[in-house]
Amino acid sequence: MNKSESIKATRATGPKYWRSLDHLADAPEFRKWVDHEFPSGAEAVTDPVTRRNFMKLMSASFLFAGLGMSGCRRPEEKVIPFARQPLDYVHGKAKYFASAMPTRTGAIPVLVKQDDGRPTKIEGNDSHPDSNGGTNAFAQASILNLYDPDRATRFARNGDSADREAALDAIRKVADAATAKRGRGLHILADHAESPTRDRMRDRLLKQLPEARWYEYEAIDHDVHRRAATAAFGHSVKPYYKLDEAEVILTLDCDFIGSEEESTLLMSKFAKGRKIDPEHPKMSRLYSVEALFTLTGAAADHRLRLPASAVHRVAAEIAAKVLSDPHFEKPEMAAVKSALVAHGGAAGVDSGWISGCADDLKRHAGKCVVIAGQGQPEATHLIAHALNAALGNIGKTVELTPVPARKGGSLGDLVTALKSSEVDSLVILGGNPAYDAPADLDLVNAMEDAGEVIRLGYYEDETAPKQGWNIPAAHYLESWGDARTADGTLTPVQPLLAPLFGGMTQIELLARLANDAVFAPYDLVQETFSGEIGGRNENAWKRFLHDGYLADSAKPALDRVRLMADRVASAVRAASKLPVVGGNDYEVVFYPDSKVDDGRYNNNGWLQETPDPITKLTWDNAVLMSPATANKLGLDNMKGYRDGVHNKLYKESDGEVADFHDGEHNYAERGEFHPEVVELAFGGRKIQGPAWVVPGMADNVFGVALGYGRICPYPNTGGTGRVGGETGFNAYKLRGSDSLKHAVGVKVSRTGEKYQLASTQEHGTIDGRSLIREMNFDKFADKDSEYADFAKGMNMPHPPGMEELPSHGLAYQNPLDELRKNATHSWGMAIDMNSCLGCNACALACQSENNVPIVGKDQVTRGREMSWLRMDRYFSGDVNNPQMSHQVMVCQHCEAAPCENVCPVNATTHDDEGLNLMIYNRCVGTRYCSNNCPYKVRRFNYFDYNRRPLDDLYNTPANPWNRKDGEWELTRWVKDRSKGSIDDDQWDLLALVRNPSVSVRMRGVMEKCTYCIQRIEGAKIAQKVKAGASGNVEVPDGTIKTACQQACPAEAIAFGNIDDPESRVSKLKAQARDYDLLDYLATRPRTTYLGRVRNPNPDMPDYRDTPETFKEWKDHGNHLAHHGHGHGDDHGHDSDHGHDDDHGKEHGETAGKGGHH
Amino acid sequence: MSDVFPKWTNKLPLRIIIGLGVLGAAVTVGVSYYFTPKYTRVGYQPVQPVAFSHDIHAGQLGLDCRYCHTQVEKSWFSNVPATSTCMNCHNQVLKDDPKLALVRESYYQSKPIEWVQIHKLPDYVYFNHSVHVTRGVSCVECHGRVDQMDEVYHAKPFSMGFCLECHRNPEARLRPVDKVTDLKWKWNEDPKVAEQHQREFGRDKVRDWKIKSSDHCSACHR
Repeated sequence: MNKSESIKATRATGPKYWRSLDHLADAPEFRKWVDHEFPSGAEAVTDPVTRRNFMKLMSASFLFAGLGMSGCRRPEEKVIPFARQPLDYVHGKAKYFASAMPTRTGAIPVLVKQDDGRPTKIEGNDSHPDSNGGTNAFAQASILNLYDPDRATRFARNGDSADREAALDAIRKVADAATAKRGRGLHILADHAESPTRDRMRDRLLKQLPEARWYEYEAIDHDVHRRAATAAFGHSVKPYYKLDEAEVILTLDCDFIGSEEESTLLMSKFAKGRKIDPEHPKMSRLYSVEALFTLTGAAADHRLRLPASAVHRVAAEIAAKVLSDPHFEKPEMAAVKSALVAHGGAAGVDSGWISGCADDLKRHAGKCVVIAGQGQPEATHLIAHALNAALGNIGKTVELTPVPARKGGSLGDLVTALKSSEVDSLVILGGNPAYDAPADLDLVNAMEDAGEVIRLGYYEDETAPKQGWNIPAAHYLESWGDARTADGTLTPVQPLLAPLFGGMTQIELLARLANDAVFAPYDLVQETFSGEIGGRNENAWKRFLHDGYLADSAKPALDRVRLMADRVASAVRAASKLPVVGGNDYEVVFYPDSKVDDGRYNNNGWLQETPDPITKLTWDNAVLMSPATANKLGLDNMKGYRDGVHNKLYKESDGEVADFHDGEHNYAERGEFHPEVVELAFGGRKIQGPAWVVPGMADNVFGVALGYGRICPYPNTGGTGRVGGETGFNAYKLRGSDSLKHAVGVKVSRTGEKYQLASTQEHGTIDGRSLIREMNFDKFADKDSEYADFAKGMNMPHPPGMEELPSHGLAYQNPLDELRKNATHSWGMAIDMNSCLGCNACALACQSENNVPIVGKDQVTRGREMSWLRMDRYFSGDVNNPQMSHQVMVCQHCEAAPCENVCPVNATTHDDEGLNLMIYNRCVGTRYCSNNCPYKVRRFNYFDYNRRPLDDLYNTPANPWNRKDGEWELTRWVKDRSKGSIDDDQWDLLALVRNPSVSVRMRGVMEKCTYCIQRIEGAKIAQKVKAGASGNVEVPDGTIKTACQQACPAEAIAFGNIDDPESRVSKLKAQARDYDLLDYLATRPRTTYLGRVRNPNPDMPDYRDTPETFKEWKDHGNHLAHHGHGHGDDHGHDSDHGHDDDHGKEHGETAGKGGHH
Repeated sequence: MSDVFPKWTNKLPLRIIIGLGVLGAAVTVGVSYYFTPKYTRVGYQPVQPVAFSHDIHAGQLGLDCRYCHTQVEKSWFSNVPATSTCMNCHNQVLKDDPKLALVRESYYQSKPIEWVQIHKLPDYVYFNHSVHVTRGVSCVECHGRVDQMDEVYHAKPFSMGFCLECHRNPEARLRPVDKVTDLKWKWNEDPKVAEQHQREFGRDKVRDWKIKSSDHCSACHR
């Protein structure tokens, strides 16, 4: 019986947990990904024509190699030292500078690594009072934006290059004209920022030019938190949620792990409250009410799925329950209560869920939090504040931080002004309103009514004026600026390099518009700082820049606040008129994308290629819908969920589906996704996008991510760049002023067209093993029960005969055991799955640190993405309402690594400290190692991803037709082999983002996670230099942080010396929850995982006795065993069959499912 | 017989002979090219823009290597000095010497001097100067007697075998840290006595300083 058959046979009862619906149904497409890691292409050159061409090319190459022998001498290289040595500069030694990445509501404090003058890596600033050193995916990827060849690189007038002086003249003219009329006719549209200096410049400008008009607009309404809190409490405040101190958390459509602007901070706090101390286990409980399946829903212990438009009704019901309790009933809340009761419930929500949740909140009064999300109307936020106030959370788990009030009109006001021709000059600061404004406003046409338009933008994008100026904006790594983080701490934004393309900052432009004498951003920021500390103080300023924050500048929270009950009551009454989606209506939820946000990261290849944590889509967005909704629409090409149709199709044609067989390409066999395109219509507007089923989404809801569907007009202006062009569809075209967050009453129709998506959800699949190990908190916390040791108890049985082998199931003495005795360190990693929230910060950090290339959508569909760190996502349980689990998958650094003994050239070997090394210069590309890797973590450079444009991957330097600028590529290649065939302007910039401590890999080379060996060796060298005669060469714990570990806001990853019992990693590994992946293979991985603990409430109607993954495992006849010997009675069944050895082995591999044969 | 061997086999012996001849020629060319010190650049001595003599500065005048290569103990890279370092002395000494015209031009016009690099490792090798010189590996081990070179040349083959020779047996080469830049230093003029000293010192140093020069790939390749 071959492996595939055996696995199929065991899955007669279905899989344990699944990555996609095809996985659940075990479709042939899916099977392909299990059996072959790289299913298509480049496997064998069987086509005779291709073969002949290959021979021709090879002989040509050899010929040239011969001719070029004399050219094989290494070229003469120059060493160019300084003429005058700058102070404190040591070539080859990285420096770190404290700065901050500004966000719409604050900033992420960062430390930026600078290698020989160029920033190369972003880290969190862990000494900042409001940061634990975590960052998010955007902060990690923002460094690539700095070196984006398609950013605005010139001052442009009417789309043509112009010089800086002319631009400054134009600004001066606008300023003079405005001054003459006290500002009348000057209209300024800005994006959101929490920068004291920008506020100061705005106020100064408006004071000097009192008739100038200021507007602010953001496509994503993160400001609703401030607005609602200000309305609810009557002071200009924004809420600061201390999730670490809360025992019960209720989120109302609030994806604080994903789409909230403060997600980095909120994640770090939430994870802190979920950390399990093995001595005194305790963790918070999360209730989530949401429409889409978000990361917050995945982390939730109880999840209620319902349309976004119905969330405020559920919130009202819960609030009414709490306020009706005599214990929480207060006379001043009477009006709110009656409004809430009148508001009524959402149809079809189990009242048990409402009361269970309300009771839990009441039990934890003062120790719970209710948060509403940016995708909810103000009313939901006000209900949440009423709940927090009634439960006594204000001042405890919810603090109200004073913030400066936002000023200015809305985008609608600006359009009105434009249409009435009041606007002599329009200045646009940042943002991209022409792209992301509500579709009904028609801003683009209105802008033509403005006199002069001056726009400060990072790209020459949709908003870049066709008539007027586009001024290049400086990246935050090129700018002086400042920001206040969520707690109000003043934080500097300091540049690491001068603007590459002469970019300008918003504060400089504002100062110039006000005709200020001082307009250098450095001086402006220092002025603000001096104002804050009450006088100029050079030392304090230096300290501020060095530390990256001003100590004790956090705004003290307001302690005496009272809920404005009347306002809340009237808002709730108004909200009852909001439309709620009914049985046959559909709702569209617009959400900021996990990769491109509102579109601002559209041209960032790292982000575009990072799979969305939920859909696993790359390079596209899609129309997300639940299985039931897809079913209702009859989208039967959504293979998998409709068992009948699905199975029939596959059985008839023996693995081939007519629908998916398009001439020469058998899509189905290649594991490609070609879903049908659907059309959504609302308010006379229409968009089309491919349908994508997400199990667990609310029914009758379509989720569409914003930020896609942009054209790339390169080399002209007016769109996104060469990376992001033509990805996805533009959901802004459907979104109107009345439906900024969600639209109710959307019409949907099928188009019959198909569109290919690149989803990695089935890539790297390891099927049918207990990879995910989860338990409920109450069971786990009972130390006497078998469940306390659930993680090791779920170990899988060894294949027969293996038990008797010496050395933990190894047939031979592992040479590493001998080496380890003399090693200074033994490196290991522990990943706490209870802390991991699946946010992808680690994946981007790895990409940035390790020079991991992007490969493009076409290569992703072939499973050739290069990311060393992949975030596996599993569903378990009911297809309509499953649980979700995440697992970070990296090289496990097995002590007995299966990859090593199959390498014919010893390109992958072990060192004494336990690292599984990959030696690129020795690798010849046989790919045996990746074939033999049970974890599927090795990535192969099928093409020269680092040196070729993505649309030119299949070309070779030896192709005589491949000429660029009249020169044969081979000629150019011989002249300069380090330079790729990427255009010069792109190459020069993109080369700057690379980490000089990590080799850039070429075509034909295998690569994988190295535990950030460059950091390990760097730390060891530093320690050895320091140690001298003392002999203290052991690197202290905590010195080395891998890139993924350092980026993780949840502190889920620990790395260090496992021979040191006091190291953090050793302590984590000593916990009962620690387990090896695929333990039964006896690979002895150095990376281990700590099982996840869910904390459901037994009083809830959707209480699950055990997590779904555990239930599935148990349903297959497994039961918990003690301490790593997972074989039990069911394994014994095998012997009844009198099988041969091979057969038995197969049983072992399929995790003791032998009982089903 | 024609049934057994088709006709084309008649030419086979000739083909084999020619084939072997070509193969032999290729091997000869390959060995004479790749297996010689020239391939590892031993003896490489390019002409430098300024005729700087290490013999005079480091040998006869006795300047310490680190007077110019200031960062060798701090970084993986041993810096070539900035022109300002030259001018520390040469604004007084030989201040009008025509051989130093380029140096003066560089200094006063802030135009760097473009030296030709001699010692270079492949990009996939991460050698670190600081950890070697601060722990007792002398410059001379890799660079030879630079203090006797009028013009610097590549003295040793920088092959992987060359590195491993020392990494596998550091005892034989470690010396007191204060003697690292003293290129002519020896334990004793008598080689036998010197060897005895070296053996004892090397053994103690490796033990006390916990020197574990790695011979695993991770030592240099990342």
